Amino acid sequence: MNAILRIDRVSCAYPQNPVLRELTFQVNPGELFIVIGPNGSGKTTLIKALAGLLPISGGEIFLREQALKQYGQKDLARQVAYVAQTGAVDNPFTIKEMVLMGRSPYLGVLGIEGELDIEIARQAIEFTGLSQLANRRLDSLSGGERQRAFIARAICQQPELILLDEPTAALDLAHQIRIMDLMQRMKTNQGATVVMVSHDINLAAMYADRLLLLVDGHIRACGSPSQVIDEKLLGAAYSCRLSVDQSPCGDWPMVNQMPGEKSRR
Amino acid sequence: MGKQPFIAHPLQLAAPGCSAVEMVLKMMLFKRFRAIVLACLLILSNTPADAKTFIDQFGRHVQVPDRPQRIVAMAPSITEIIFALGLSERLVGATQFSDYPLIAETLPKVGSYVHLDVEKIVALKPDLCIAVKDGNPISVVRRLESVGIPVYAVDPRNLDAVMATLLELGQLLDVRFRAEAIVDGMAGRIQQLRRRVACADHTPAVFFQIGISPIVSVGTPTFIHELIVMAGGINLAQGKTPYPRFSKEQVISLWPEVMIITSMARETVFDQVKSEWKQWQDLPAVKNNRIYLVDSNVFDRASPRLVEGLEMLARLIHPECYHTGKPETQP
Amino acid sequence: MNTKPSSLFVKMTMVSLVLALLFLAAMVAGLAMGSSGASLDSIWTTLSSEDASQSMEQAIIWRIRFPRVLLAALVGAALSLGGLVFQALLKNPLAEPYILGISGGAAIGGIIGIILGLSRIPGVSITAFAGSLATLVLIIFISSGRAFLVKDALLLSGVMVNAFCTAVIMFLLSITQDDRLHNIIFWLMGDLSASQIHHVIMLAAILLPCFMVVFIYSNKMNLLLLGSDMAASMGVRVRQVTLVLLVITSLMISLTVSQCGLIGFVGLVIPHLLRLLCGPDHRVLVPACILGGGAYMVVCDLLARVLPPQGEMPGGVITAMIGAPLFILLLRRSKR
Repeated sequence: MNAILRIDRVSCAYPQNPVLRELTFQVNPGELFIVIGPNGSGKTTLIKALAGLLPISGGEIFLREQALKQYGQKDLARQVAYVAQTGAVDNPFTIKEMVLMGRSPYLGVLGIEGELDIEIARQAIEFTGLSQLANRRLDSLSGGERQRAFIARAICQQPELILLDEPTAALDLAHQIRIMDLMQRMKTNQGATVVMVSHDINLAAMYADRLLLLVDGHIRACGSPSQVIDEKLLGAAYSCRLSVDQSPCGDWPMVNQMPGEKSRR
Repeated sequence: MGKQPFIAHPLQLAAPGCSAVEMVLKMMLFKRFRAIVLACLLILSNTPADAKTFIDQFGRHVQVPDRPQRIVAMAPSITEIIFALGLSERLVGATQFSDYPLIAETLPKVGSYVHLDVEKIVALKPDLCIAVKDGNPISVVRRLESVGIPVYAVDPRNLDAVMATLLELGQLLDVRFRAEAIVDGMAGRIQQLRRRVACADHTPAVFFQIGISPIVSVGTPTFIHELIVMAGGINLAQGKTPYPRFSKEQVISLWPEVMIITSMARETVFDQVKSEWKQWQDLPAVKNNRIYLVDSNVFDRASPRLVEGLEMLARLIHPECYHTGKPETQP
Repeated sequence: MNTKPSSLFVKMTMVSLVLALLFLAAMVAGLAMGSSGASLDSIWTTLSSEDASQSMEQAIIWRIRFPRVLLAALVGAALSLGGLVFQALLKNPLAEPYILGISGGAAIGGIIGIILGLSRIPGVSITAFAGSLATLVLIIFISSGRAFLVKDALLLSGVMVNAFCTAVIMFLLSITQDDRLHNIIFWLMGDLSASQIHHVIMLAAILLPCFMVVFIYSNKMNLLLLGSDMAASMGVRVRQVTLVLLVITSLMISLTVSQCGLIGFVGLVIPHLLRLLCGPDHRVLVPACILGGGAYMVVCDLLARVLPPQGEMPGGVITAMIGAPLFILLLRRSKR
């Protein structure tokens, strides 16, 4: 099976300090691929580099066996969609208008949308469960609703690959699950490949097909959740004591933090 | 040297219309002051008490020494008048734009006549300052008085008043005969001009432009208006406002026959202004090529040269009454 | 927006039509009224008469008012558009055309030109233009490097440079001779009276293509509002777009200021007003700002010419007097 995304000895220095050091891995099509790791490990840098938003200082990123930098910007936009960690909060557009913007890689200079585009946007809004809120302004939504709106926009790009930077950060529990379910459906219904960064190990373990553990710009582990979620590995990565068990809800591992210096109870 | 300057009391007791005697009396109420005054009187008693009291145009009583030797002129017009009276060697300071005669530019400068430099004036140790009523701020006058410098204010607000001022200053500075000679000369020239201009059969409409951006002209309460009328023209900007503004439209609809432009800008700007007006070929002033540039100083300064300005205007407005051919424009 | 395919088109057309009508009405009023009188039928006779000898009224309309009204329209459009673009680029609702120090530099250049005794056009406009370009370059240099696209760096350096320019302006004013002061102050307040038709045509020749370019980029301005990263991921060359818009807008504003001095509030109020009325889509707002801003300036200039009993007021005074209360009203509206 050909990898959709192949990362070959990629390094990134941003701005002067090396953030990613000679990473090599690949992402398979139709996967839900989640990057985890402690703060400052370079997760955001990695996902931005994969989106073509940050220049890399070494190595090469291949999208479908073609170097990323050889893609034209609009061409790339038709294949890869990116959802930032925090989208603009005080945006005056309505959900409908903003989601339609996702069609711009397919439209001309002025981006005047046609019937087809409007239909695609409507479907994306429905897919993300925002049909009731379609005419509401972005700045009047909750964080979770806004995040779903940004994802709906990404869907309109009809991408093969969706990149998300910590989409569930600062969301409540219900919304976290909702987003992850959405990603799951993207995978199965749309056949997209989802690569995301997550700070929540358990959520990642629950949903991911494969995980990448990034620590200090190096890959510590890359594989299925049961391979990566290992007490010693994670403990060393996060510099704290963890316990790993089987989750009571399904056949994926579950991580529990343990108190540090405090007395054991 | 005149009086010793007495130390100014914190309370400013010099009010307009308050004579020197009243001032001293009020100050005597303060014990400290009495002591100083006594001391001063002793010193003063050694200096000749040959000052006379005049009432100036502010209505103030001013103690003017008999033969003031160190005079400061607080306006360019005063400078010109003093030079005209032949008393230039007694001038020790003048304001910034005192540029006539040329030698006046070498005099020490005491600021401009709206922004006088009191320190500089005091440093020149004058025994008399001559001020202009509508021009120098009264606060400066009072400040100078408070350090013992007598300030005499004149009010040359129109041509007649200029001549009266000349006589007044002639009296003050003890050069009465010279003053009278100048005034007679001026009056004579004015008479002559009146006779010449009387021959004209038409009073042209004159637009006198003193500002370019915005366009400003002169109203009735100005010298220039008086001069225009005397020179046999109609001032299109006449009215209560001394310096009314005009839009280009308004000027055109006034339909001027003569346009006189005065400004302190260089010649190049005048050429541009002239060529802008020249685009309106229907205007009589343009058709007959009667747009002129003049030096502003002979028109807005209350000096004997006003008569020159008057004669210049008459030549421009009524060239037919002067048999010298086309009037020239002044650079 | 419902499923009508051309509803954006419809909106663009409707808005443009309404504003175009307003614009036309403003032009007619501007031609008909002036400091020397008002009449509507002179316009008709001016336009319909072919012979060279015009009456004085017609000459006034054609040769004084027409260039002036045209200039006002261009200036209003340029300033409104400038405000709109800066508000989008800097993602800041307080952004207005002069925020990046262009006004400070232009003012210094203009004052120096007037002090040197140059004529309004071309002398002073050249020095003003040079001044505004100098400050723009300075600001870009200060905020350059990695911070170039960080909007706050640009904004902050613009504000600081403006503050410094204010100090320099105060210094220049304090040392200027009195006769020049009046000229300077009139220019600083925004004065549309100095232009003749060929200058206006030259200005139009440069501004109209600039308007076109901004219109072409209007969709990209929508995308930029989502954030530079997401915009880039949707195919927008953020760096290039920002640079082009910055340069074009600065050019428009510098030209405007160099011709007419600092006319304020148009660039701040009109985009907000139109956004309130027409929505945030820049494809609608760009033509709206051009037409609406133009109409607004024509009306303000008309008032500046007609209100004073004698002479004329600087146009910038009227825009400030109307603009400030209008902006406060808008602020209260939007807070609800």
